[in-house]
Amino acid sequence: MIEVKSLTKSYNGRKALKGINFTIQTGELYGLLGPNGAGKTTIISIMSSILDADSGEVTIGRYNLSTDAKSVKKVIGVVPQEIALYNELTAYENLLFWGGLYQVPGKELSNRANELLNLFGLEDRKNDKVGNYSGGMKRRINIAAALLHRPKVLFMDEPTVGIDPQSRNLIFEMIEKLHSQGMTIVYTTHYMEEAERFCNRIGIIDNGQIIAEGTLDELKSTISTKEIINITFSNINEEKANEIKSFWSDAKQSDTSILFKSSNVKFDLSKLVLKCNQIGLDITNVEIMKVNLETIFLNLTGKQLRD
Amino acid sequence: MIRLAVKDLRLFFRDRRSMILTFAIPIVLMTIFAFAFGGVGKTRQSNKITLLVSDLDNTPLSKKAILQLDSLKSIQLQAVTLEEAEESIKKGNRSCVLVIHIGFSDSLIKGAELPLELRYDEARGIEVGLIQQSLVPTIAMLPFNLLNSKQMIGNRLARMAGINDPKAKEAIKTQSDHLYDAISDGILRSGKRDKVNIASNFMGGDIKMTKLVRSTNDNQLGLIQAVAGTAVMWLLFSVVGVGMSILDEKHEGTLTRLLYTPTNPVNILFSKMISANVISILQLLIMFLFASLAFGLEIYSNLGGMLINIIATAFACSSFGILLASLAKNRSQVQGLSILIILVMSAIGGSMIPLIFMPSFMQKIAVVSVNYWSIQGFYDIFWRNFSIFNPTFISRISVLILIGIILNILAVIMFKKNILKLT
Ligand SMILES: Nc1ncnc2c1ncn2[C@@H]1O[C@H](COP(=O)(O)OP(=O)(O)OP(=O)(O)O)[C@@H](O)[C@H]1O
Ligand SMILES: [Mg+2]
Repeated sequence: MIEVKSLTKSYNGRKALKGINFTIQTGELYGLLGPNGAGKTTIISIMSSILDADSGEVTIGRYNLSTDAKSVKKVIGVVPQEIALYNELTAYENLLFWGGLYQVPGKELSNRANELLNLFGLEDRKNDKVGNYSGGMKRRINIAAALLHRPKVLFMDEPTVGIDPQSRNLIFEMIEKLHSQGMTIVYTTHYMEEAERFCNRIGIIDNGQIIAEGTLDELKSTISTKEIINITFSNINEEKANEIKSFWSDAKQSDTSILFKSSNVKFDLSKLVLKCNQIGLDITNVEIMKVNLETIFLNLTGKQLRD
Repeated sequence: MIRLAVKDLRLFFRDRRSMILTFAIPIVLMTIFAFAFGGVGKTRQSNKITLLVSDLDNTPLSKKAILQLDSLKSIQLQAVTLEEAEESIKKGNRSCVLVIHIGFSDSLIKGAELPLELRYDEARGIEVGLIQQSLVPTIAMLPFNLLNSKQMIGNRLARMAGINDPKAKEAIKTQSDHLYDAISDGILRSGKRDKVNIASNFMGGDIKMTKLVRSTNDNQLGLIQAVAGTAVMWLLFSVVGVGMSILDEKHEGTLTRLLYTPTNPVNILFSKMISANVISILQLLIMFLFASLAFGLEIYSNLGGMLINIIATAFACSSFGILLASLAKNRSQVQGLSILIILVMSAIGGSMIPLIFMPSFMQKIAVVSVNYWSIQGFYDIFWRNFSIFNPTFISRISVLILIGIILNILAVIMFKKNILKLT
C-alpha cells in the first residue's frame, strides 16, 4: 500500500533523513518510533507531499507521489503534530471547513461531523469556539478534522503529545476502531507504550535512519538478551569503565551508568557485583530492565528514547 | 536584566529590515512633508500663485498699483484682458482675476472706496482665499504708497466729516498735515504688522468678491478630498490586516494543514484576495454612505461611477495588502513595512494634503501612489461630474485595475517563494 524508498532530505546542509525505506501493507498500523528530531515529521511531510525530498520515492496505493500528488492528497488524511485549527471557529464549523476542502457533499458532511463529534465525546461542546477548548479537546478535534473525507490512509504525527490520560484513552480507542475498520495508519510517536500497545509493525528511527524494523516480537528477538542490567556508579572514571566493559562481552556506557546485556540475570548479576568490588567501583543503583522497545532503543543507540 | 536587554538589542540590530523601518520611516515622512509644504530648497519663487489682473482703469496710478502688488512674494501677476481672464477661469486654468475698474485713480485720490473686484471660481475657494489674504494688506497700503499722502489724508478726513466748503477743507488740511505727521510717525515707528493694521483700519482695503463660476457641487471639494483621502488611506491599512492573516495562518499551522488537502496552494492566496476585496468594498461603501448621511456628500447622482471606482480601488488596494504580506516573514515586519509604504503613498498621493497645495513636482510624483488614482477618480465622479464613459475617468479606473493585476502577479510569485516554503 505504501512504499517509501531511500528518502533523503537536508535542511540547510544538515541531513535530517539519510535514506529511509519501509513498506506498509493495506490495513496495517505502522508505528514510527523515535526521539525528538529523529525525522518523523519530515517523513510525514514528504509522504503527504507538502515537502519535497532531496531524493527517493514514495508510492501510496496506485499513485506515485512525484507525479500524482493531488490524487494522493485526496486519499490520505493527515493529523498534524501541532494543533492546526481555527480558534475563532466552533468545533463544528472547523470540521465542516476541513471536510469541505475534500468536496464531501453538504448533508453528508454535517452527518459525518456530528458523528465524529459524538465519537470524540464533544457533541455537547460542538458550538463552542475551539479557542476555548482544553488542550485535550483540541487534540481530539485536531484528529477528527482529518477524518471527514474517510481517508484510506491516515498519517498521525504524535497525536497525543501533552494530553491528559482521559483524552489519550479516547484517542487510543478511536485509533483502534479505525484500524479495525481497515484503515491503513502511519503513527509516529516517541512513547514506546503507544507503539507497543497497538502497532502491527514498528520502525525505530533515530537521527534520520530506521535502525530497526519489525513486529514487536521480531524486534525483541533481534537481541538475544532477555534483560538489561543497568548499574549506576558513584566513582566511575574512564579507566574503571574500560576495565569493567572489557570484562563483559556486551556493555554500553551511558553517563555514570553501564548497561550490561544478560540472558540470565541471577547468575550475571552476582558476577558483575563481584567484579565491581574488585575494581573498586561503588554501586549506587541497580536496575533490571525487561526487554521492551525502550531497552531495544537503548541497546541500539545507547540513548534513552526520552530525556 | 541587562543581559536580556543586550540580547534584545542584538536581535534588533541583526534584523536589517526592522532597523530600516525604525529609522527610515520618520526621515522619509519628514522629507515628504517638508517638500509638500514647500519648505525645502531655494525654489520658493516657483511656488508663487499666478494671479490674473485686468486693468480697466489703465492710468499711471493703476499701473503703479500693479507694480506694488507684483512685488508681493507669494503672488505672480499676469496682466490680461477681462475676457481672456474670464475664459481662463471658466476653463478651470486659473482660479481668479483681480479687476481694477475704471475710476480707480480718482477714488484713490479722493480717498474713496477703491473699485477693485476679485472674480473667482467657487470650486477653488481655498486657493482664492489664500490670494485674497495676501492682497488685502497691500491694497490697504496703496494710498500711502502711491499718493502725496498729506493731500490724501486731508481729502479722506474731509470726506469722512462730510465737509464740502473749500475754506473749511483748507482749514482741515492744515490741521491734517500735523495729524499726518503724527500718524506717519506712528506708522513708521510701529512694526510692519501694526502698520498694516493702522492703514487698513484707516483706509479699508476691501475687495469686492464676485463668483464667476459656481461650483456644481456647492463647494464639496473639501469634503470629497477629506472623504476620499481618508477612505483610501484607511482602506490600505485594513487590507494589510487581511494580508497579515496569511502570516497568522502560517504561524498557527493552519496554512500547512491547508496544504495537506487537495486545495491548490495559490487558491489560498486568492481566497485572501477575495475576502480583502469584499472587506474593502464594504468599507468604502460604508464610508461614502456615512459621508452622504453625515456631511451631505451627494453620492446618488453618479452611483454607478462611484461603485466602479470603489471596486477598482478595492482591487488595487487588496492586491497591495496581499503582496505586502507575501513579501514579509512575520507580522511585525509587515506592520512596519506597511506603515511606511502606506504613509508615504498617502502623503504623496494626496490623502493627507490636497495636491493643489503641493509644488508641481510633487504633483507629478503623486502618480506612483494608488491613493492618487483613486482620489482623482472620486473627484471625477463627485466634483467634475464626469460620466462613467468619460475617457479620463476610464483611464483612471484602468490604471487602478492595472496596478491591481501587477501587484497580484507579484504576490503570487512572492507567496510561492516566501510563504509556501517549508524548509
Ligand atoms: N524547517 C526546518 N528547517 C531546518 N531544520 C529542520 C526543519 N524541520 C526539521 N528540521 C530538522 O530536521 C530534523 C528532523 O526534524 P523532525 O521535525 O522531522 O523530527 P521529529 O522526529 O518530528 O521530532 P519531534 O519528535 O520533536 O517532532 C531535526 O534535526 C530538525 O532540527
Ligand atoms: Mg515531529
